[in-house]
Amino acid sequence: MTGPSPAVSLDRITKRFGDVTAVDELRLDIADGEFFALLGPSGCGKTTTLRMIAGLEFPTEGSLRIFGDEVGTLPPEKRPVNTVFQSYALFPHMTVLQNVAFGLRMRKVAKAEAAERAAEAIQLVKMAGMEQRRPTQLSGGQQQRVALARALVNSPKVLLLDEPLGALDLKLRQEMQRELKTLQREVGITFVFVTHDQEEALTMSDRIGVMHNGELLQVGTPEEIYERPSNRFVADFIGQTNLLDATVEGDGTVCLANGTRVAADTRGLTPATAVALSLRPERARLATQGSVPSGQPSLSGRIEQSTYLGNAIVFSVAVAGMTLDVRAENLVAGSVPPVGDEVVVTWDPGAAVVVEA
Amino acid sequence: MTDHATPPAVEANPQLERAAQRADAWRGFFLAAPAYVYLMILFVVPLGIVTMYSFATRNRQGGTDLSGWNLDSYARLDEPIVRTILFRSLWLAIVTTVICLVLAFPFSYFIATRRPAVRNVMLVFVMIPFWTNFLVRNYAWRVILENDGIWNDAARATGTETVVDWLLGLPHWIQWAIPDWIEHLPSPLFSEVGIVLGLVYGFLPFMILPLYAAIERIDLSLIEASRDLYASGRQTLRRVLIPLSMPGIIAGSILVFVPSLGAYVTPQILGGDKETLLGSYIVVQFLTARNWPFGAALSVVLVAVMLLATRIYFRNGGRTL
Repeated sequence: MTGPSPAVSLDRITKRFGDVTAVDELRLDIADGEFFALLGPSGCGKTTTLRMIAGLEFPTEGSLRIFGDEVGTLPPEKRPVNTVFQSYALFPHMTVLQNVAFGLRMRKVAKAEAAERAAEAIQLVKMAGMEQRRPTQLSGGQQQRVALARALVNSPKVLLLDEPLGALDLKLRQEMQRELKTLQREVGITFVFVTHDQEEALTMSDRIGVMHNGELLQVGTPEEIYERPSNRFVADFIGQTNLLDATVEGDGTVCLANGTRVAADTRGLTPATAVALSLRPERARLATQGSVPSGQPSLSGRIEQSTYLGNAIVFSVAVAGMTLDVRAENLVAGSVPPVGDEVVVTWDPGAAVVVEA
Repeated sequence: MTDHATPPAVEANPQLERAAQRADAWRGFFLAAPAYVYLMILFVVPLGIVTMYSFATRNRQGGTDLSGWNLDSYARLDEPIVRTILFRSLWLAIVTTVICLVLAFPFSYFIATRRPAVRNVMLVFVMIPFWTNFLVRNYAWRVILENDGIWNDAARATGTETVVDWLLGLPHWIQWAIPDWIEHLPSPLFSEVGIVLGLVYGFLPFMILPLYAAIERIDLSLIEASRDLYASGRQTLRRVLIPLSMPGIIAGSILVFVPSLGAYVTPQILGGDKETLLGSYIVVQFLTARNWPFGAALSVVLVAVMLLATRIYFRNGGRTL
């Protein structure tokens, strides 16, 4: 291998619980200093993958390396990683300071030094002054910060976070997302983050791995995942999209299920392949009959429903056998076309992406 | 925008509030009253009578004169035989409690970490002994341990006299596993070993159940967090699991220590005449020696020791929690 070893390297990692395969031949390299999100619906194997990196589960097969060292069957206390648990798992019988100093004390750091470093970590997560409180006296957001400090104080080579923001309300979650990102840049530690919230993954990560049924479907930057999803599941799971069943025709066109031919990028696909066309609601536009230039894809239909979001309006348009969502920014007050209007849904040829069916 | 109408002013009414609180207190009292009355009549009043008798005087006929109050009965606590019996009882109760704790902790942890269906089955197994009378179960131990008990019967079936003889007669390739001192081992029956054996057997469920309840409540991710923070299994046990199980350890220890200290049936059946404990000694004072004041004084001391032990235990537990 050339260059530095990746922070975490999974090679054909498999985990089976009895007959159930939770993680199936996963291959993944996470670079040093990266903020990596494992994203997927519940039960997709993302938490199991994280727990294997932490040492809380051992893989059934495959190789797991942390900075080049095989750690597959090492117990958690022998790995240079720390975890922020979903429920925070703060020790209720200890104060905030004792919680944060726990890892240092277990590694035989002298009491005074451990207390000093723990106090610094508490300061880092903006919890100074709370050292003598018990976890039960803290709010969810505060507990979250203590859990973070308790892990970071050990200067792990990799920090694992298992849906750490799941229990927080929206405002606090958004605030913590920004803070986590800043904190990660500050400390420069590799973060591996498990979440089922696609928005959270998009906002925070350098790269995202999308998991489904124990398999890693796609790995890429948030932009790559959003703009060029590799298959139907990824397109549907990340953001909102209209998925139109289609067949590859010749070069540069697909035929939709209702017979309409539209232009799309079909490079590398053989004709007659069943695919899906993914059209994001915000990339589609409503137009009036006849105003669409020729060559631009368009489908005519009728507005079935409109949902007012304040800053935008989402129209559900019935197009021969399908319903398409079209999102229009609410730029001019009072310009909403009424339900029942005959309209044309149109988009730029490059705006819709062909994905594996 | 229209102006908001001012909300109607709500005035504090302290009288109404106080009346509501008073009504609440009365309701609580009525709910607790049946148990209060029961405990007062059947527990507090008799205990008061016993305390009163402990200051009374035994007369020549073996009756008790409720006059001439004195501390003579308490002075007798200093007699060597009384002290021996007191300390022996205390010692055996402590040993029983410690053995129960050591046996029950891993077992309770095991049950608490099983699937709920398995848990329930195992808890039923723990409680099965209660379906048989305590006295009967103690006699069963006697039958097992007796010289012509079933252990030795089984040994005789193989052609040797006792279990120990049978063990010593095993082929030499397995002899290394049997320690030499087994030959000199006294029979556990009618000794302190027999008493502790019986007490542990009888009171183990009282340790298991509260421990199970305490461990079952612990969030198991705390144990994972401890391991993740570089604690070994042993350190996790000492720093996380045991402190968090403390409510169960305290409750279980009290539930075992208190009845062990006052045990009467088990020492009587398995301990024989040599190893008199406090429970038996009190019975002797009331029934045989006909010295009610002294028996009452011993009873008061027993209750006091139990209260003291409970208090110390709770106070220490309160600190670590």
